[in-house]
Amino acid sequence: MSFRSFLHRITAPDPSGKPLEGPCKMVCVVNQGLKMGKGKIAAQVGHGAVMATMKSGAEKPMNLEQWLATGQKKVCLKGRDAEHLLDLEKQAKSAGILTTLVHDAGHTQIPSGSLTVLALGPERDVILEEITGELKLL
Amino acid sequence: MVSTADEPSMVLIARHDLKMSAGKLAVQCSHAAVSCTLNARKTHARLVERWKNAGARKICLRVDDLASLQRLAGQAQAAGLVTYIVKDAGHTEVPPGTVTVLGIGPAPRRAIDALVSELKPY
Repeated sequence: MSFRSFLHRITAPDPSGKPLEGPCKMVCVVNQGLKMGKGKIAAQVGHGAVMATMKSGAEKPMNLEQWLATGQKKVCLKGRDAEHLLDLEKQAKSAGILTTLVHDAGHTQIPSGSLTVLALGPERDVILEEITGELKLL
Repeated sequence: MVSTADEPSMVLIARHDLKMSAGKLAVQCSHAAVSCTLNARKTHARLVERWKNAGARKICLRVDDLASLQRLAGQAQAAGLVTYIVKDAGHTEVPPGTVTVLGIGPAPRRAIDALVSELKPY
């Protein structure tokens, strides 16, 4: 074993914990208050998905593993505006769901620092649906 | 001070001919982004770190058909860049197995620009 993989092994998070029961997914809620083009939305959701993936790898590795093993299902939903996204984030946090907020650097289309996307999960479908069940598909 | 040409970047190249909805496009692009990032972490760990620290730049471009997407994928692979081709599971909108998006990077911006400078933003 190389020195690096040894270091990795002793510093990697403990993969203990229960595997998730039932299907899981990641939900990205897009701020519809901003007039973003399709490509812009895609890039912002991409930011959210990558950030949420890294976060779950550090904090909930079991969720990440199961999500990756089952085809990394993602769903994109519409949020009204920044307040709506922050409100959903608060609810999700208190339900123990991993949350990730994406703020745009503002190189194109919208003002710098705008809240563009809220990413939730990866988490079990049933838990996410309690928070996002009412939202429409983008 | 690093010049912008050396900063790592990622491009998500989507097929415009499939006429995907905004949500569909976003989901397909994020598949590519996540998979590229995870693959690149195994082979280009320091580059991924630099990319993230510089704001994880991503842009979404378009091609008109599958052939152009595959040609770009071949060129990127020949240049030694990390690539990922998204094939849709076909639950919605497009038939199962349809190639929707090509992700390239994170890679030095120069290397990416050399391949995609002709493409339009989606």
